[in-house]
Order: sequence, then C-alpha cells, then structure tokens
Amino acid sequence: MRKFSKGLISLVAVSSLLGITACGGGGTSSEPAGGEKPAAETAASGDTVNVNVGVVSILTGSGAGYGEAITNGLKLANKEITEQGKVKLNLLIEDSAGKQEQALSSAQKLMNSDNVSAIIGPTLSTEMNVVGPEADMNGVPIIGTSTTAQGIPQIGDYVFRNSIPESMAIPASIDAAVKAYDVKKVAIIYGNDDVFTKSGFDTMKAVAEEKGLEITTIEEFQKGQADYNAQLTKIKGTNPDLILASALYNEGAVIMSQARKMGITAPFVGGNGFNSPEVIKIAGEAAEGLIVATPWFGDKQDEKVQAFVEKYTAEYGKAPDQFAAQAYDALYVLADAVERAGSDDRDAIRDALAETKGFKGILGEMSFDEEGDIVMDPTVLTIKDGKFQLFQ
Amino acid sequence: MLAELINPYYLQVLSFILINIILGVSIYITLSTGQLSLGHAGFMGIGAYASAILTLDYHMPLVVGIVVGAILAGIVGLCIGIPTLRLQGVYLAIATLGFGEVIRVLFINLEGLTKGAVGISSIPHIGRELVKGLQDFGFKASMIGLKNNQLISLSVFLLLLIITLLIIAFFIRQTNSRVGRAFAAIKMDERAAEAMGVNITYYKVLAFAQGAMVAGFAGALFAHVTAYISPADFSYHRAVEILIFAIFGGSEVIWGPIFGAAFLTAMPEILREVNEYRYMIYGVLLVVMMAFRPQGLIDTQMIYKLKQRRKKKGVS
Repeated sequence: MRKFSKGLISLVAVSSLLGITACGGGGTSSEPAGGEKPAAETAASGDTVNVNVGVVSILTGSGAGYGEAITNGLKLANKEITEQGKVKLNLLIEDSAGKQEQALSSAQKLMNSDNVSAIIGPTLSTEMNVVGPEADMNGVPIIGTSTTAQGIPQIGDYVFRNSIPESMAIPASIDAAVKAYDVKKVAIIYGNDDVFTKSGFDTMKAVAEEKGLEITTIEEFQKGQADYNAQLTKIKGTNPDLILASALYNEGAVIMSQARKMGITAPFVGGNGFNSPEVIKIAGEAAEGLIVATPWFGDKQDEKVQAFVEKYTAEYGKAPDQFAAQAYDALYVLADAVERAGSDDRDAIRDALAETKGFKGILGEMSFDEEGDIVMDPTVLTIKDGKFQLFQ
Repeated sequence: MLAELINPYYLQVLSFILINIILGVSIYITLSTGQLSLGHAGFMGIGAYASAILTLDYHMPLVVGIVVGAILAGIVGLCIGIPTLRLQGVYLAIATLGFGEVIRVLFINLEGLTKGAVGISSIPHIGRELVKGLQDFGFKASMIGLKNNQLISLSVFLLLLIITLLIIAFFIRQTNSRVGRAFAAIKMDERAAEAMGVNITYYKVLAFAQGAMVAGFAGALFAHVTAYISPADFSYHRAVEILIFAIFGGSEVIWGPIFGAAFLTAMPEILREVNEYRYMIYGVLLVVMMAFRPQGLIDTQMIYKLKQRRKKKGVS
C-alpha cells in the first residue's frame, strides 16, 4: 500500500510540473501570436508584404552563446525593418539545442505547422546538413548565417548562406600574410575532432600546396586539450615562417600563449573560429601577430557599421560579434528579396534571393553565386597593440 | 481531411521516438541480464556508418545496408561481450564506455572511409527512396490527396512503426521463453543460476550481442532518417541518453524503456513553447523521478497491479 501511495505522489508531482510548463507555454506563446494577427490584417489591405520567417537557432545547451548573438542580431534587424515599413517579417524562433534531430524537428514544425515562407539558420553546419535537404525538398528558401563548412549551398537550389566559407577566408588571410612576411615554410596545427577546424585544415593544406609553400609539419590536437607543448616543440624545431592554426578561439588562444612562451615568434594565421576578441582576453600580449580574414570588422570606418554597433550595444549591453552581424545582414537580404518578390510565395522569394547582387550591408557588398553561396571580399585583420586592426 | 491531419512535423517527432524506442529496447536486453553497458552509442555508430558507407559508396540497396549494419554491430558486440564477461556493474560500464570512445575516435581518424569529423552527408533517405520506388510503379502522392513531403514522412513513420512493433513483439516472446527466464535468473543471482545449470557465459554474451545488434539496427535507421551522420552523434552523451530511457522508464519490464524513450523524446518537443527553459524542466523532471521512483516509472509491480485490475474488471 505504501508503495502505491508513493507512486501516487510521484504522479501528482509529474502532472503538476506538466501543469507549470503548460502555463508557461501559454504565457510566452501569446506574444508572437498577438503580434501576428494585426499584421495579417495589414497585409490584407495590400500595403506591405507580410511574411512569416522561421528561425532555427541554439537557445539551450553549450552552443547557446552563438544562438543568442544570432537571435539578437535578427531581432534588431527586424525592429528596423518593421520601422521602415516596406515589408513585415514575423520571426518565429525555435530551439535546436545544437542537435541534428531537434533541428530537423523544429524545421519541420516551422515549415509544416507554421507555414513559414523562409528559414534563417540553423546555427551549425552539422544541423544544416540535415535540415538543408528537407527544406530544399519542401521548396522553402533557407539561409545559413553561420554555416561555413564545405558543400552547404550545394545541397540544393533553396539553400543559401551569407557566412563566408573557410575556403574563402583562409586563402585571403594566407595571401596577405605571405605577401607581408615573405613566407616560404609553414607549419600547420589543427583540431582533428571538430567539423569546423577539420574543414579549415583541409583548406589550409590545399592553399599552402597550391601556393608552393613548404609544409614543415602537420600537428593535431583534440578538443579541450590544455597542453600543446609537444606539438609546439615539434613546430619550433622545423622553424617555419608562418604557422597555420585551424582552431576555435578558446583552444587557439592557449596555443598562441604557449607558443610565445616557448619562443616561437612566427605569426599565426587562423580560421573563422579563431576570430574572436576573446583571444586577446585569454592570451593577452601573446595574441599579437594573429592574422584572420573575416567578413565582420566592428571598428570599420563606415556609417552603417558604426550605427549597428551603437544600436546593438545600447540594446543588449555588449558589442556585436560576427554571428550577430551576419544574422543582421541575412535578415536584411531576406527583407530585400521579399520586397522584390512582392509576396510571401516561397518560390518567388527564392528566385528573388538568387538574384541578390551587390547588396550593401554591414559586412560589405554581398551577392549570391549560382549555387547560393556568398560572394564578397573578406577583410584581413591582425591583432596589434591589444586589438584587432586592419592588416597591411 | 486526411491531408490536413498528416503533419510532417508530428511524424518526424514520432519517427525519432520510434528510433529511440528501439534504442531503449536494445539497452533493456543487456540490462535484463544485469549487464550495464555504456557502449550502445558505439554499436549504434557502427550500424549507422556501415549502412551509410555501403549504400553511398557501394550503392547497395537500403535493406542490405541496414541489415549488414545491424549484423556487423552484433558481431562487434560478440567480440566485446566475451572478454568483458568477467566484469560487472560499474566496471563493465567503464569498459564499454571506453569501447564507445574508441569507436568514435576510429570514425574521426578513418578519414578515407568516414570522412572524419566532417561526417557523411547526403545518405539515401528511407522515405525519399521509398516514395521514389512507389513513383516508379506509377503511384503518386496526389493520388491519395497528399503532398509529396507528407507521403515521405508518412512512409518513414509507418515503416518504423512496423519495425518497432516487430522488435517489441520478438523480445516480449523471448522474455517469456527459456532464454528470457535464463536472463532473469542471471539478473537475480548469477551463481544461483549457474548452480541450476544455466549456461551463463552463453546467455550473457547472447544478451550483449543482441543488444548491440538492435542498437546497430537503430543506428542504421537513424542514418537513413536524418541523411547525415558525424562522429559527434555517437559520443558518450548518446550512450547516457540511451541509458536514461531505461532508468527513467524502468528496466524491469520491456514497457519501461519503451515508455522512457517515448516520453523523454516527446518532452523537449512538448516543452517547445517555453524555449530557453525546456531543458531546465527536463532536468527537474529527471531529478523528481529518481527521487520518487528510483526503480523507474514502470516496474513489475505496476504491471502486475494493472493486470489484476483488468482481471477484476473482467470478472465483474
């Protein structure tokens, strides 16, 4: 009997928890729903195009930092677009928790339950590999804002991205470094168990071979490693002119710091993931001499860029990063396409997106090529005097 | 009417629930002889990678890929099951955890075969292949008033449902057979079982290999449902997730892991409304469950009571 009553208690506990979530759900979901209805009426009056835009992003879990920057960038852009009044976009944001299954489920929800006309996201290339084919099959245009791996736009006609791939960023930075330092020999160090750093390494190796640079050694490390002395000692022994490091910023910063302590003075070239102000925070003076190519430079002397940085900082209390900027521009590109398409028809929006040419955003001038990949000139930056500066 | 009811979103979630149920069953089988395995993510990965590579690089039909994936996982399970026979409880858990990590690192490093950390993309999708096959026979989605994507999701769901039901039916039969009783005896007391003449080596390895094979089977299905796999999908997070299905639902009867898998997969989707807080609630739920029902939600007593109640109703 006692066991039975215990079971009863647990049942009550579970059901009350369910009750709490149900209430919470009602509270948050009422907001966007409330915002949608009047908007739909204005669309009926024929003045502005009213379009539902789905967003798949990481709101929970270890990648939530990226998701936060992306959704903040999108929300800020949407606020401005709404104020301008040419088109009205309703953002429906869903969480993917950084998992492919969840990303796929949430995209299915957006495409089929919410009937969105376009999707922005998901955050990770691995998620895009799962969501992309499904969106393409359903004929929903999808724009990745942070998916840099190879082969993403090639998934299908409906898949776009406005984040520059490693195959574009790395050659630009290696080019600049080779010119400036008269490089003949390079060493490569990379993380071999991460999609991002691995594909960055593939590009680095290909570019170095193409340019006829001698690769003195290739060293590997794993995610979360703390001591890189073994790899760095080897690299130091081969005495390269330049070190190509395909690492995320948290590991990359430690690598640089340990390299400088060991007496390696060669400059570093990093991929997209190495490009973060955090590097300076972690490595301090050791970060000097890091060269990265990036679509986003917050100190650029450009009205649009400075206005964005100011607004974003005022709204969210911190400076925008690359992910926020890319998301911000992606929504503007989409709004521009919707305006030209003049309807919420998925195919019309796709065709308009594909025609995007010379769009001036905060990242620079953007166009899509035939495959839906971004075409733009990345900016090459270096860390000097404790901050990112244009590399000359 | 039918067309409006069939929402690919729900079918997608249901498909993942079914795959997770198969995974739940796979851990139940090994647990039913008292062996705690954390290597199921590894077996799942073997099935997934084997099937993906066979269908993609060697152009085998999906059925062949999936079956070979499952069998390969079973064989590896056999190879792991024999040397780890002497290990029990936590020690076995650690050994199998190590095995899972070895498999994951192999996937990362066998770049020629597995494309390393980047993962394998554009794996043939079960639904898309099935619908393509149907179209060759002149059957189109519009004939039953459905859109193409609805038919694809529906066919995936129905196929998985049939497979899952068959697997469940098989293991219910097995539980009530000589093999099942031997498993139960070993779980209760290995020495007593041995004294009664149960060949514990045989049955323990059998349970381990069966669990590995079913996990590999689920992994192969997973690969052909998401159409993309990478080594990160089969890390120890997945192993723990699979184990939680059984721990949450209860590992004494097969219905426990089935319920656990269904509930824990559906939960994050139901909680979608609360966005940022959903995994917090998910976590609280786990803590509460473990505090009140450490043996899992569904146990033998519960099943017994339900049966009795049904009997009483039947009499009156």
